[in-house]
Amino acid sequence: MSVKSSFIQIFISHIKREFLINFRSLVDVISIISFMILIVILFILGIGPFEEKLRLISNAIFWIGLILAIIPSLEKTLQRDYDNGWLDQTITSPTPMELVLLSKSLAYWLIIIIPLLISLPLFIVLLNINLKLIPWLLVSILVGGLSISLIGIIGSALTLGAKRGNILLPILIIPLIIPILIFGVGISEAVIINESPLGNLFLLIGFTLIYLVISPFISAFLIRIAISR
Amino acid sequence: MLYLQDVTINRGSKIVFYNWNAKIENSKVTIISGKNGVGKSTLLRAIAGIIPLEKGIVKNYNNEIFKDKINWGQNLIYIDTKNGLSKDLTVYENLKTWSEMKGWKTSDDDLQKALDSLDMLNHKNLYVSQCSEGLKKRAALSRLYLSFLFDVKFWLLDEPTNELDKKSIILFNKLIQKFLENKGTVLLACHELKLFDFSYELLNLDLLKK
Repeated sequence: MSVKSSFIQIFISHIKREFLINFRSLVDVISIISFMILIVILFILGIGPFEEKLRLISNAIFWIGLILAIIPSLEKTLQRDYDNGWLDQTITSPTPMELVLLSKSLAYWLIIIIPLLISLPLFIVLLNINLKLIPWLLVSILVGGLSISLIGIIGSALTLGAKRGNILLPILIIPLIIPILIFGVGISEAVIINESPLGNLFLLIGFTLIYLVISPFISAFLIRIAISR
Repeated sequence: MLYLQDVTINRGSKIVFYNWNAKIENSKVTIISGKNGVGKSTLLRAIAGIIPLEKGIVKNYNNEIFKDKINWGQNLIYIDTKNGLSKDLTVYENLKTWSEMKGWKTSDDDLQKALDSLDMLNHKNLYVSQCSEGLKKRAALSRLYLSFLFDVKFWLLDEPTNELDKKSIILFNKLIQKFLENKGTVLLACHELKLFDFSYELLNLDLLKK
């Protein structure tokens, strides 16, 4: 008789599907990066040619740019599969919805984080970021990016089927992202004044772990409501 | 037998079924008919477990099907008018990811045979965004073939024949006949009853929902 796969194999196959779909339509991934570059450039032009001013706020610009660039693409993560009926199919599968959503947020994290890391040198040049910051910046992007994608899935599930989803979504999830912004910037600031950034980093990791636990459950609950309408 | 006992189903704030009883016989085709908006799709979605029951239970013999969702998920194939195909993937990739999602390890050969069962082998590398509605429906229905390999006992199909041409309907009929030989149960919402060349039970919601 036939062979059935374990939950872990199903989990991986969901991630593979997300990768396949997202790299077929690379536009979304490229738009995130180019949007972020544009936001950063706007800030730099707005500040004018004063290096001291830029040094004071360069970390904040980086994080705000990252958050603003990611938000528009978050809505699509679930909306596409809601529209074409894939979510109906996953709900009638043996895999729990929570697991499916966890795989979706992990896949989304990998999909946005890889191009972001590739374009990091550009931001370092644009924002004149101190070179000793780079390892800490990498860690905080990795951890913060995971939180943002976990929060994003909640927001995306919340606005499924809503008529003004693209406007509602930022209003709902930006308050949840505030801790990520504070601790992410905190890490960089601590390094600049030669203090240990570990306190902020641990808080960032702590928040991410909280979201890692609650996000799949909340979004699965929300999706069941959206689908049963 | 599938028994629906005192089932109340809401769609949004509207009550579609109220304290409703029905039974669906195993190893047979049951066609749910009725006028538009009477609740054919809602009933199918509720049995599939997509819409939660407000009240009541659904039993397969003595097992409450929603108590063991993992088992029920492996035991049914639900296909509705939305198909569940991603337009960025090809027909073949859609079938492959779908079977992986169900937790089935399929070989390339199995998938080819499944596509061949609805004559989709020529279109297997076509992107779904380029497919016509009929091709999409055939791509979705080719999943049904996999149930012979993985011991699926229930098909819940929402208007499967709407976009199909004559030749595909013959192939679809063949699939159902093979499924009935394997003691499968088909629950089918449809308007055109004369398309099918097998015997079926009729569940007419216009008459029963009073």
